[in-house]
Formats: sequence, C-alpha cells, structure tokens
Amino acid sequence: MISGISVYGLSFRYPGSTTDVLSGVSLELDRGKVIALLGPNGCGKSTLLKIFAGITPGQHKVRISGGLLSELPAWRRAQRIAYVAPEFRSEFPMTAFEAVLLGRICQSAHAAALWGRKQEDEHAVIAAMTRTGCLGLRHRELQSLSGGERQLVALARALVQGAKILLLDEALSRMDLHHQALCGKLLRELVSEGFLIIVVAHDLNLACEWADECVVLLGGKLLAQGSVSETLTPERLRVLYPGAQLVISPSPATGVPKVFFGNTPEA
Amino acid sequence: MQASRKRAYFWGVFVWLVGIVFALKFGSVADADTSLILQLRLPRVILASAMGMALAVSGATLQALFTNPLCEPYTLGISSGSAFGAVLGASVGVHWVFGGVTTTAFLGALIFAGILHAISLKRDGSALTLLLGGVMLGFLGSSLVAVWMALADPSGIQGALYWLLGDLSRARIEGATVLIGLALILSILIWRRSRELDALLMGEEGAQALGVDVGATRRKLIFLTSSLVALAVSGGGMVGFIGLIVPHFVRRNVGSLHRNVIPLSALWGAAGLCVADGVSRVAARPYEIPVGVVTALIGAPLFLWIMLKRERGTE
Repeated sequence: MISGISVYGLSFRYPGSTTDVLSGVSLELDRGKVIALLGPNGCGKSTLLKIFAGITPGQHKVRISGGLLSELPAWRRAQRIAYVAPEFRSEFPMTAFEAVLLGRICQSAHAAALWGRKQEDEHAVIAAMTRTGCLGLRHRELQSLSGGERQLVALARALVQGAKILLLDEALSRMDLHHQALCGKLLRELVSEGFLIIVVAHDLNLACEWADECVVLLGGKLLAQGSVSETLTPERLRVLYPGAQLVISPSPATGVPKVFFGNTPEA
Repeated sequence: MQASRKRAYFWGVFVWLVGIVFALKFGSVADADTSLILQLRLPRVILASAMGMALAVSGATLQALFTNPLCEPYTLGISSGSAFGAVLGASVGVHWVFGGVTTTAFLGALIFAGILHAISLKRDGSALTLLLGGVMLGFLGSSLVAVWMALADPSGIQGALYWLLGDLSRARIEGATVLIGLALILSILIWRRSRELDALLMGEEGAQALGVDVGATRRKLIFLTSSLVALAVSGGGMVGFIGLIVPHFVRRNVGSLHRNVIPLSALWGAAGLCVADGVSRVAARPYEIPVGVVTALIGAPLFLWIMLKRERGTE
C-alpha cells in the first residue's frame, strides 16, 4: 500500500471546457520524499495539486494511505493534506498570527468546539511560526508583508494543520535566497519526519536542489517520473521548453545537476 | 489587540447608552411626559437597536461569505427583495404584525440572496459582477415594491416611499421586543460559526483547503443572514449602509476574527442605529427625516472611499 498519495488514470477537465487539463495520469507517491512537480506553463501542475488537495469540483479517485480522499469530510481531509496556494492574501485586515491560526480550524468537525482550546491553538501557531522563521512578523498586518514574507506565513499555516502531506504551489518562489535556503532545509527536516511534500516549481535549479524525485507533466500527461538526474535530461528539456536552449551541468559545489541557459537562438 | 477589543466594547456600550438616553429624551415633541416616552419612544429605541444589530451582523457575514468588504444587505439588494416580500405579504392580508409579514420578507430575502449566491458561483464570480448584480436586484426589488403599492392604494405611495427609506415610527413594544430577541438568537447562531467565517476570508479555495465544507457553510449562513435581513426590513423598512459602516470600523479596530467582529458589530450596529434614529428625529424638528437617509448620508461616501482604496490595493 502506498503511504502517500496515489492516483490511477486520472483525467480532468474544468466544467464547461472541452479540453482535458489532465489525461490518464497515474502516480504513486510515498511519504518521506520531496517531489518536484515540473512542466511548462499550463501543463496541469497546479490542477493536479488542487485535485490532490481535494479542492477542485467533482469526484476524483485520489487515494491517501489507501483510502479515498473524497470520502473524508473536509476537516479530516485538511488534517491530512495541507495546500499552499501561490497567492496568500486577504482583502480584510488580519495579522500574520491570525492568518496562521486559520490553519487550526480543521482540528474539529464543529468549529464552535474549538473555542475552549485557544491556548493549545496559540502554542501550535507559535511553534509553526518559529519553525518557518516568521515569528517576528506575528503582529504585522498580512497586507503589509512582502510576497516572500507572506509565503513564510502561508507555510506556517500549512504546518499548524498537522498534516503529513504538504502541497506547495510555487510556495517558495518569492522568498529571498536566505529564506529559500532556510525553507529548503525545513523541507528536508520535515521529510525526515515522514512528510510527503509535493512542490510545484518553475525554478528547476531550486527543484534539483531540494527534491528527491521529479514528476514531469506535459500537456496534461505524465512525461516522466524518477530521480532528478534521470528525469532532467537534455533531450527532455528540449521537449519541455523548446524555446530555450538549456545546458545541464553539475554544480561545482554539490554535484547536483543544474540547468543553465545556453546560447540563445538569436546569438 | 486585547486592549483595542476592550476599548471597542466599552465605547460601544457607552455610545449605545448615550443613544438610548438621547432617543428617549428628545423627539419631535419637546417636553414629552412619561406615557409618551414609554409608548412611543421606548419601542422605537428597542426597534432601532434590534435593526441595527441585525443589519450590522448580516453585513459582516455577507462580507465574509462573498469575500468582499463592500457587501451588505442594502448594496446587494437583499433588503429590497425582503421589502418586496414584506409588501406582498401585507397586501395579501397578513397584517403589519410580526409573523406573517416577516415570513414573506424572509422568503423575499432568501430568494434574492439565493440569486446572488448563484451569480457568485457562475462565471468568474468577481466582486464587480456580484455588486452590479446586487445593484440591479436592488432596483428590481424597489420597483416591484413601488408598483405593488401604487396598484394597491394610490395614497399609499408616500407611505411606501417613506418605508423604503427606513421608517421606525411604526414600532410597537411587543413587536420590538420579539424582534430584538430573535435578532440576538440569530446573531449568536452566526457567532458560533466564527471560525468558518474566518476561513471564508481566504476565498473559496482557501477555505476549502483549510477544511471548511464551503457549500454547506454558505447555505447555512445565507439562511441565517436572510432571516436577519427579513427581521430588520419587516421591522422598519430599508435602512442602508449600517451593514457596511459598522463591520468596516470594527475590523479596522480589532482585526477580522469573527469571534470579535460579530459581537462588536451587533453592539455597534445597535448603538449606531439608535444614534442615527435620534438624529433623524431632531435634525429637522418638527419633521422627521427617514433614518435610512441619515445612514445613507454617512454610508454612501464611505462606500466610495472603501471602493477607491480597494482599487488601489488590488492593482
């Protein structure tokens, strides 16, 4: 049995659309790994992530630890899977602390029952914010934070849900290098605690740095799955990004494969 | 935050008490005796408090439901739907008592809120679509009320217009007491859903990801909100902008957690409408300005201000 997420022959189209966003995707993803979900724009990465998170319309046969995701009530689902959207903002005034506190809603079927657990919730929030390094922002208004700071807060909110599966859609993309490194380290730590982390990323180098495995989508179909060096081959990169001439070479410091721009077609 | 919360409660109670004393003491007659105060002004103060509470709480709830700080029963046309329901109920024989008219007012509010819900789910469900839909529903409801009133009794037009602008002068002690009781119960039922309302502030997908069953929560909250609007409208016609002004200032002062926003909106809504009603009675003595005009004079510019500020923020 797969301890993480599995789908078999998953197809999806948005209501009213005539084309499939995803077609026939089969995946088995075990816990204890960081998975980078890669592919060009519009290949279905974000949709796949949302289906895993259980927030797209319709019934999908997504299994977590063998059980069907769609059979879980919403609050149970959120205890097992946390999803971080590319944008984390609200039009309403809210401090970073309050925003992270929202992640505790799934602790009970009846939100009203949470009123007696204020202290426990607050401890969890402080622990999560400390872990993602954004405790210092807790009294700041969410609206006043920079994009990268908001992403740290969003990551903390995902952690307080207590889920062992984290789905991150471009969730590190706006952070500075310092915070990207810290969060990368955090992801590795979480994985050693048995998390499954699926990251949608456009930055291939970041993906290579932190991921154990890559899943590559093209046109809604699964193109490749496997270790970084197996999946990111020069031939495949040409198929994925035909407009860019890319060169893969190992990083001088770590030996991890890195992707560079080669000669541009004009040059 | 703790301190600002306490301050908000303290000043809310203070303003409410001042409003009550003011409204009992002053009116269209300069020196009133005790019986006048008890028979006319007391019910009116209770009615104003109940309506203010109902409108502010429903405004705060609608804002979270549609993730838009410009929503409230009046701007979304739900008040108009409710008014049409009330007029229809009254004209087919259920009299100006609570019960009959409130039920038809509730149905009117529920139908209009349901249409809005459908609009918000259709297409992109953007804020603009929603608000324009609400404005159109508002026109539709008000026009239907006017047509109905004109057909029923030509001399009733002026009364109808007055009522459409918000008119608390029909207050009776029994009705007002029942109304404030019901408004309180409904507000508490909404308050119990504070955490779900908090989650809805992150948008539909955001709330779903947090573990909220958005569809079911929305349906329940629309039902409760429509009931509140129906109470307010059947009590004293259409009073706009209380549901916009009050939650806006509460959120600015204590943040957006509904655990605080709902009770403070109830308190400040009651206080605000008491004061506005007092002003409506004494500003042009011996005539009365409809209370809805007073709230609109403050609320409409505020609406524009929030709208312009939002535009800048979302660029």
